[in-house]
Amino acid sequence: MEATDSPDEFIEAGLASFGIEADEIDLAVIRAAHQLFWPPILELVALDTSQVPAEPNPDLSQAPPR
Amino acid sequence: MSAALDLSLREQAAAIAAGEVDAAELLEATLARIEERNPALNAVVETFPERSREMLAAAPAGPLHGVPVVIKDEWPLPWRAQRFGAAEMLAEAAPGESGPYRALRDAGAVIVGVGNMHELGASSTGNASVYGPAHNPWNTERCPGGSSSGPAAAVAARLVAGSVGADGIGSIRYPAAYCGLTGLKPTFGRAAMAGHHMAGVSTTIVSGALCADAADCRLLDSALFGEELKAGAASGLRIGVIAGEVSEDVDPAVREACEGAIEDLRRETGGEVRTVEIPELAVATLATILIANSESLGGITPERLNNLDPELSPLARGLLKFRVLLPAIATVKSHQIRTIARRALAELFEDVDVLACPTVPAVAPPLEAPVVELPSGAMTADEANVRGGALANLTGIPAISVPVGSADGLPVALQLQAAWGRDELLLDAAEAIERANGRRWVEAVPPPARGAEPLEA
Repeated sequence: MEATDSPDEFIEAGLASFGIEADEIDLAVIRAAHQLFWPPILELVALDTSQVPAEPNPDLSQAPPR
Repeated sequence: MSAALDLSLREQAAAIAAGEVDAAELLEATLARIEERNPALNAVVETFPERSREMLAAAPAGPLHGVPVVIKDEWPLPWRAQRFGAAEMLAEAAPGESGPYRALRDAGAVIVGVGNMHELGASSTGNASVYGPAHNPWNTERCPGGSSSGPAAAVAARLVAGSVGADGIGSIRYPAAYCGLTGLKPTFGRAAMAGHHMAGVSTTIVSGALCADAADCRLLDSALFGEELKAGAASGLRIGVIAGEVSEDVDPAVREACEGAIEDLRRETGGEVRTVEIPELAVATLATILIANSESLGGITPERLNNLDPELSPLARGLLKFRVLLPAIATVKSHQIRTIARRALAELFEDVDVLACPTVPAVAPPLEAPVVELPSGAMTADEANVRGGALANLTGIPAISVPVGSADGLPVALQLQAAWGRDELLLDAAEAIERANGRRWVEAVPPPARGAEPLEA
């Protein structure tokens, strides 16, 4: 399977790679969601968080340890 | 008995305890009121009179002895599996004793019905459900808010005085705001959560109360917490107004009401107000969505996605399939954003006691087209609402929505957030706002609860 950046191909190829079937309505919803979420996801992924390790199993009932 | 139906939760509890109101009569009157008012609201999707009568007969002399409540369709009951507002919820569901059920039972409360909710808990609007949408009692053509749509509409229309919802990304606070109620999203882990299909997996979902005012929330949440949430003074409150779009890209009438309420809170508590920045707030919202999404993938297999119940809405079907395409690296980054946000808040809460911003940036939108007009332009209510709702779920802090005004005949609400474990302070602050405005907004009731302008089914 060739890699692609085209949303239409990416979406259909991605679903196919998981063996997930999608009709035209599904695809329309997925394209709309992709259009909404993909730009901010790219911004998120591009953020430099190298100095910030994720808290391992954070206790969300309390403030993080200092 | 009509007068008892319109009492607050704590007044009903006190009247029953004092022998002034007969709990069995109150239960029957509540069921009759649901039958009368609910058809136009679709707030309660199921009642079970015999089960409720059995629950009352066995009710201990707890703080909620004999008080009728509604519970969201997100919590299993011993006689009923939750449906999560959906034809198919892609997780195991079975009847059982959920944590909120046990908490209510042990406090002596009587569950009279199951509250509607947005399909799969996936929206702040409440405009889609396997049962059909719930309607906002203030205007039945408007959204009640989601995902705890039914619990909110049921209390606003005074079918019951209190209900139990769940909040994964604002799902108690949005409907509280749209319906003019007080709704507390507890600190993560403080309120009963056992039996939820995401218990032990979700790091964002909590149970919590929706009631007319903070004192009722204090009583009902005390049951859910398993400990008394004691009242305090909230004096000298240091209030941090969150800078940026969450406070500024807001309908002018909402902004004015919220700014007025913040000034009320400052004056009432002898406190101070400053503007505060929360780094990466916008990306924190996305991070919350991605973390919640990744946590809900457990039951989603290709086989299940290829055999979804045809009654599931097209939007839900498409979004479920979209979820599997989200990249894992974004989820890893989201956990790092969570760390950044938690550290930033821990530092911020050394200088302020509460953070303030509008709960939602505009009043309840139409059910048919849940779009809001903001200074930046039109956008879906979900896009707009999540800006202010997600931070508490991402970081674990408590948050409360407090009714503080009205615009176009619909409620306006202020959100307050506090440091981990300071749920009681939020209730104290909400009560300070109530005192400052003469309880005007917590005592406002919509047409069906005024006995005026009866709703058409």
